[in-house]
Formats: sequence, structure tokens, C-alpha cells
Amino acid sequence: MASSSGNDDDLTIPRAAINKMIKETLPNVRVANDARELVVNCCTEFIHLISSEANEICNKSDKKTISPEHVINALESLGFASYITEVKDVLQECKTVALKRRKASSRLENLGIPEEELLRQQQELFAKARQQQAELAQQEWLQMQQAAQQAQMAAASASATQQAGSSQDEDEEDDM
Amino acid sequence: MSQNNSDKDDQTSTSKKTISLPISRVKLIMKSSPDVSSINQDALFLTTKATELFVQHLALSSFNNGAGKESNTLSYSDLAHTAEETETFHFLTDILPKKIFARDYLKSLEQMQEEEGDF
Repeated sequence: MASSSGNDDDLTIPRAAINKMIKETLPNVRVANDARELVVNCCTEFIHLISSEANEICNKSDKKTISPEHVINALESLGFASYITEVKDVLQECKTVALKRRKASSRLENLGIPEEELLRQQQELFAKARQQQAELAQQEWLQMQQAAQQAQMAAASASATQQAGSSQDEDEEDDM
Repeated sequence: MSQNNSDKDDQTSTSKKTISLPISRVKLIMKSSPDVSSINQDALFLTTKATELFVQHLALSSFNNGAGKESNTLSYSDLAHTAEETETFHFLTDILPKKIFARDYLKSLEQMQEEEGDF
């Protein structure tokens, strides 16, 4: 659903994501379409609410960027303190996942081999592969030639045998 | 977002621990709030997860307190009702115009016209 006006106020969470969440929260419940639409808009409203409150808290502190602490305080002052524990847990989880990913990629980078050496090894491997390909192609060509020759010879001897067979019969007749 | 995609396998078993809403969209909405300049990435995760919890909370609350509970349905009015009854959801009343029946609207329109006619 593309927004034709491109207005900032038309920004909403995608309907599909909301539908999925409603389905998971209220399985087997029939939810009216206008109710779904309303939930989508409530989301936007909620985000604005939290942002504004967190922003105010941020302005009062010495910081310029809204921090997790500001968001948590905002949730508390707006009556959503019950969300705080779970929200903090997810943050921890996200951080752990991100950390694991960074570790994994840096392990690859730090094999201890400098880049030029890696490049050289790569070039070597390519050259080797090219050579193998060339040898393989050469072999195949030779095999094809041999096969062609054999076929020719076979055809030639077949016709020779035929001729030889017919002359033998003549000889036998003469001896009698 | 890489966060969402790589966690797909985990979502069925640990759906509480991951985020299913699109973080980039939440960021856009936050930035469209007046005066909001920069947001720390972790603060963004928190807000996104809080929004998810909000959806669940709103849906459950509206359903449990709503008229449709026995028939297993959730309607617009259930949501509107909860917003008015629950204090933490009061902020939603701005975007919840009370739905009125067409005939009532026409009636009030007539009344207004009559009043104007008196002058």
C-alpha cells in the first residue's frame, strides 16, 4: 500500500505485521477490518507518545541523543512500566546476537594472513585451475580424435573383409 | 533488517526474545515526531519492542473487556471502549472518533439548520 501523499503523518507500521501480531495474540478470534486499521493507527500514536516523552526527558538531561534510559523512564512515567522487564530482556538478546556476529566476522579477518599473501594465494589457485581446465580440454580433444580414427579404421576393415570374402569363393571353385 | 531476518529461526521458540516489527519503520515514525533529533540504536530496539507489547496489550485488553468475547470477535467499538475505560490508553481517544449512525448525524444536521433558520 503505497502512500500517495508521502506525508510524514501517513507513516504507519505495515498492516501485515500488525495482522500477524493480532493473530498470535488472539488466535481463533475474528477481528473486524476497521478494528485492525485502528490498531495500526494506535501503534503510530503510541510511538509518537513514547518518542515525545523520551525526547523531553532527554532534553532535561545533558545528552543530545535519546538513550535507552530515556525510553525506559518514558515508559514508566506514561504508565507502561509493566513493559520494562521484557523490553530490557530483548535489548540484551539483541546485543548478544550482534556481538556474536561481530566476533565471527573478526575471527575470519584475523587468520593472521596479510592481504597481499591472500591475494597471491588466490592468483595461484586461479592459475592452477586454468591449467587443469586446459589439460582436461586437451585430453578430451585427443580422445575424440582417437575415437574418430578408430571409427574410420573399423569402417575400412569392414569393407575390406567383404571384398576378401567374395574373392575366396572364386578360388574354391577353381580348385575343384 | 538483518536483525529480523536472521532471527526467523529463533522466532518460533523464543518469540519473546526477538523483534518482529520493522525497526526502520519505527525509526521513521519516531523521527517524524516534532523536535526529535537523534535516537540511539538501543533506544530504537527498546521502542520497537515496547510497541509490540503495546499491540498485544491493547488487543488482549480490548478482547477481554469487550462485548465480542463470547462470540470470539473483536470489533472497533471494543477497542474504542477499552481506550476510554483504561487510563493508560486514554491517549488514543484523540484518534478514535466515536462512530455515529448516519441517521443520528442527519438529525443533528437538521437541528443545526433549524437553529440557523431562527436567526
